[in-house]
Amino acid sequence: MTSAALQEMLAERRGGLIAPPAIEVSGLDAHYGSSQVLFGLDLAVRESEIMVIMGGSGSGKSTLLRHLIGLERPSAGAIRLLGQDTGRLNAAGMLDLRRRIGVAFQGGALFSSLTIQENIKLPLREHTRLDERTMDIMARMKLEVVNLSSCGDLMPSELSGGMLKRAAVARAIVTDPKLLFFDEPSAGLDPVVSSALDDLILRLREAMEMTVVVVTHEVESAFKIADRITILDHGRILEVGTPRQVRESASERVQNLLNRRAEEAIIDPEEHLRRLAGGM
Amino acid sequence: MLAIMEHLGRRTVRGLDELGYAGSLLGESLFYTIFGRRLRQPVRAASVVAQMIHVGIEALPIATLLATAIGFMLAVQSLYSLGLFGAQSFAHVGIGLALVREFAPLIIGVLVSGRSGSALAARLSTMTINQEVDALRAIGINPVRFLVAPTLLAMVIMLPALTMWADLVGLAAAGMFVSASLDVSFAAYVSNTAEVLSVNDLLHGLGKSVLFAVLIAIIAAVNGSRVTGGSEGVGRVTTRAVVHALSAIIVADMVFGFLATR
Repeated sequence: MTSAALQEMLAERRGGLIAPPAIEVSGLDAHYGSSQVLFGLDLAVRESEIMVIMGGSGSGKSTLLRHLIGLERPSAGAIRLLGQDTGRLNAAGMLDLRRRIGVAFQGGALFSSLTIQENIKLPLREHTRLDERTMDIMARMKLEVVNLSSCGDLMPSELSGGMLKRAAVARAIVTDPKLLFFDEPSAGLDPVVSSALDDLILRLREAMEMTVVVVTHEVESAFKIADRITILDHGRILEVGTPRQVRESASERVQNLLNRRAEEAIIDPEEHLRRLAGGM
Repeated sequence: MLAIMEHLGRRTVRGLDELGYAGSLLGESLFYTIFGRRLRQPVRAASVVAQMIHVGIEALPIATLLATAIGFMLAVQSLYSLGLFGAQSFAHVGIGLALVREFAPLIIGVLVSGRSGSALAARLSTMTINQEVDALRAIGINPVRFLVAPTLLAMVIMLPALTMWADLVGLAAAGMFVSASLDVSFAAYVSNTAEVLSVNDLLHGLGKSVLFAVLIAIIAAVNGSRVTGGSEGVGRVTTRAVVHALSAIIVADMVFGFLATR
């Protein structure tokens, strides 16, 4: 059995409704101004699962992520993270929940006025009463996990794109979160660095038993790391399944996305013109 | 005509929206300053001190230069205009009152607006574009209490302090010119000026500087956090923040002066 097949088998077993959901999305609607971008999404991510959310530009995957990490409030529907309905939490409850969530943003989003070490210590400084020495030790441990142990004293501007993303991962995991979210981890990276980052995500899941959600449009990366894949298209879920199920999907749109065909090719020209004319 | 009305309507709505947002930022900053510790979201003293150093201490050389220039300028103009009536010996009255009540807070407001207001707007807008503000929120740190409140507090503390410094430097500079021009001792000038100025005059100037501090910080925060359009947007909102702050300072100065002398 190849390692890929083994991985898929394990993924299917993991997806065998044994583990309770770490993330539950039900009937999620989202609007930007007057235009609706998500339409009644239902989604469940199980504990210790790596769920990859894929879709073309404008599919709503980044909007979904922003709702999952609490940066946007749903127009309708509910999001439950680690069993807690985020819409019903007060400020203190939301703060406690955020401590159990890590987010690695697309460009790293490290604070440019702080060193890498200080960036990683920031969540600890804000949310714990640890002394400076303990925070230093914890930050160095996380830097070692992401192979950046010699970069603690550098400023973010002194790191390459791949190093920035790894430093962002170190900051995201410094509080040992239960949920870890990645926004386009491979974007802007060469294939070697991108593959190394994929390996890091897999390693983190194995070592820390985190539930991981990755938003990406990189097909190769998605199939390498995913236990299950969700395909979004124009704000609706097109397909949810293991990599094998998605690869064998009968949906033409899914196959178009996987084969990286131009999105315009699958848009109805009349519909496209109507959109350009301002949704009349 | 319809297009003009529509444009005006949009601008009015946007202005009101920004006004409301400014109010909410101010309210939130005050809220976290007072109740932040209880909510485990404290406004950290270290951040306030760092901003105080940036807003106040680092501005001392330029504030000293400007206050000296204003003092000299007031002395020159007072001696000239009063000389037309042969009343040069009363120059200290106009200089003292104008400097303490008007020019010192105004020039410090203009200086801090151009220096620290623009820096805050640029910092907030860059952080917004780079998703650093999103990262703060995702970490569970309220961006208003982390970024805006420390600067607001620092400005509210340091603008009056800089204004007092500008009062001293400006009066001293004017005194040197007046005493040399009228051949009176510097001590006599100081004594005459102290007789003219009251605590009320000092508080008038300091009250203005507190108002200017709030305006500069909130206008910079409103513009910085509403940036759109990448690095071009950063330049745009930074310029806008300075122009708005200067306009607000001058209008507020007029209103404050009018109301305080009724």
